[in-house]
Amino acid sequence: MAQAFRVSDLTGIQVRPARLWTHSLSWILFVTGIALYAHFSIVRHQENPEDRVIPSATQLVQGLKSSVLEPAEEDDPLDPGATLLEQVRHSMIWKDTASSAGRFFIALLLLIPAMLLGMHMAVFPYAGAFFLRFVLFFDKIVALSLLPILFIVFGIGEWSKIMLMFIGVAPTLMLDTYNIAGGVPREQSVKAFTLKSTNLDVAYRVVLKQVLPQLINSLRLNLKPLALFLFAGEMIASTDGLAYRIAIMRRHMGMDIIIPYLLWVALLLFMLDALLRITNRRLHPWYQPL
Amino acid sequence: MVDDIAPDSVLRRTEIALRDVSVSYQSGKEGRKTVLSRLNLKVAAGEFVVILGETGCGKSTLLRLILGQEFPTEGAIEVDGKPVTQIDARCGYVPQKYSLFPDRTVLGNVMYGPENAKSRFVGRFRPSFFAFRRTLRAEAEEFLMGMGLRAQDMHKYPHQLSGGMQQRVAIAQALLMHPPVLLLDEAFSALDPSTRSSLQEQLRAVWLESKPTVVFVTHNTSEALLLGTRLILLGRHGEDRMGETNLVLDMEIPQSQLPLSARIRAREFQDLLEYVKQLAYKSSSLHADDPVADRIVEEGNLA
Repeated sequence: MAQAFRVSDLTGIQVRPARLWTHSLSWILFVTGIALYAHFSIVRHQENPEDRVIPSATQLVQGLKSSVLEPAEEDDPLDPGATLLEQVRHSMIWKDTASSAGRFFIALLLLIPAMLLGMHMAVFPYAGAFFLRFVLFFDKIVALSLLPILFIVFGIGEWSKIMLMFIGVAPTLMLDTYNIAGGVPREQSVKAFTLKSTNLDVAYRVVLKQVLPQLINSLRLNLKPLALFLFAGEMIASTDGLAYRIAIMRRHMGMDIIIPYLLWVALLLFMLDALLRITNRRLHPWYQPL
Repeated sequence: MVDDIAPDSVLRRTEIALRDVSVSYQSGKEGRKTVLSRLNLKVAAGEFVVILGETGCGKSTLLRLILGQEFPTEGAIEVDGKPVTQIDARCGYVPQKYSLFPDRTVLGNVMYGPENAKSRFVGRFRPSFFAFRRTLRAEAEEFLMGMGLRAQDMHKYPHQLSGGMQQRVAIAQALLMHPPVLLLDEAFSALDPSTRSSLQEQLRAVWLESKPTVVFVTHNTSEALLLGTRLILLGRHGEDRMGETNLVLDMEIPQSQLPLSARIRAREFQDLLEYVKQLAYKSSSLHADDPVADRIVEEGNLA
């Protein structure tokens, strides 16, 4: 039978909060954040009804509406008789999301061979000897400091931003993959060899298959750094994209656009993370995280 | 069907020979540490050799040398007359842990080896491979049932099985390849006594049926005397015994032809067990020519 809640339970380690408690507690910070925002917004709007620093709910709804239904300033205005779907497809947020997502997913695809290289470094000793020291050193280079070089080499087009994301995240991901793959017990590969496996069998059918859930988790943890480098690139040199819009709106003090954009980016990353998490669980029912 | 991939493996007998094998490695400030020293050993085809010794005496190292996972600092190892230069796919291997692939079901684990042996890459998309797979699956299920698994266990993942079940599957995984040499590294040491004795019976039955050369590493004296036809007792190598072998005892186990239940009841077995226990206890400081060792060998052979 479940025990009644005691105040001392809040600092206890061997306690098991009831489901209702767990859910309630998990929403408290969200509610507090919204309440604080509303409070400060009301206070500022009492002083100045046109305040743009902490927009009111009405201003936010208006900003959201113009983001989702109106084209960007630099684009041609839409035909007044356009359908809702056409309005959304030509909207500022749609266009910016598509541009940023394109860059994001190309970088994400480029990370797959990087992870495979990390796995090879762990499994094949000569590959490890060849790459490890260089990757360890390269990992310590601050990716943003390479931005001028990337602009010179790749121009200010798409590839400089994609390469910034790749260079920013790939070495860490490679080293993480190297550590994860290196953690597969030696007995597993020995056993596989006694079961007539080739080197490639051991690498791809034994080691890679076993570490794949951990690699997906590692990728999940690197989604935010990836977005961070995307934003850095877009804010410095871009003509579209979510970060570009935020940078433009900052100049106009357009918090009514910036806040919905910020929440939209967080939601996109949250959904991508959830998708990877669910896929991981479905694909690898055998995986037992520590 | 599995016999197709290893048609003569059961009939082919494999002999293992170790000649003046020494293994040492650099151990920090302690300098060079010798694990095995001047070990000469010849395992005849079809023998069931049990290697006994305290922790750190080099028994697992010896097994890894035969397997080709490690190489000696000095000396040579041959399996079937050929020097061991890499992990030998003729050896079946059952380690104490991590013996099953966690991402494969029970059936997936035991079918992994025969599938590899049959075909690779493009060959796996041929209709003949699918037919092979169907027959193999039926055979693997039958084999696993014989090892004490139930039909509902076939699609379970290793983490859903008990330790005993996992080791049964690990043994089945190795045996389904019909290896001429079977190497077991403390394979039963993590199991409860009843599971352990049941697996001992099964291993013994498999050995009697197909007579592969078995090298079984254990630190359990009664298990060693009960299972094997030959006992090798290793002692820990110390600085005071530089250049000497750490082989303490190498003896034929008496009455090894008897069933396990009959052996364990025999008075000679109990006496021998007591002697070997004492010897194993003293082995770190005992020399191979110690009179106690001579007496045990003598009495053991007489019993």
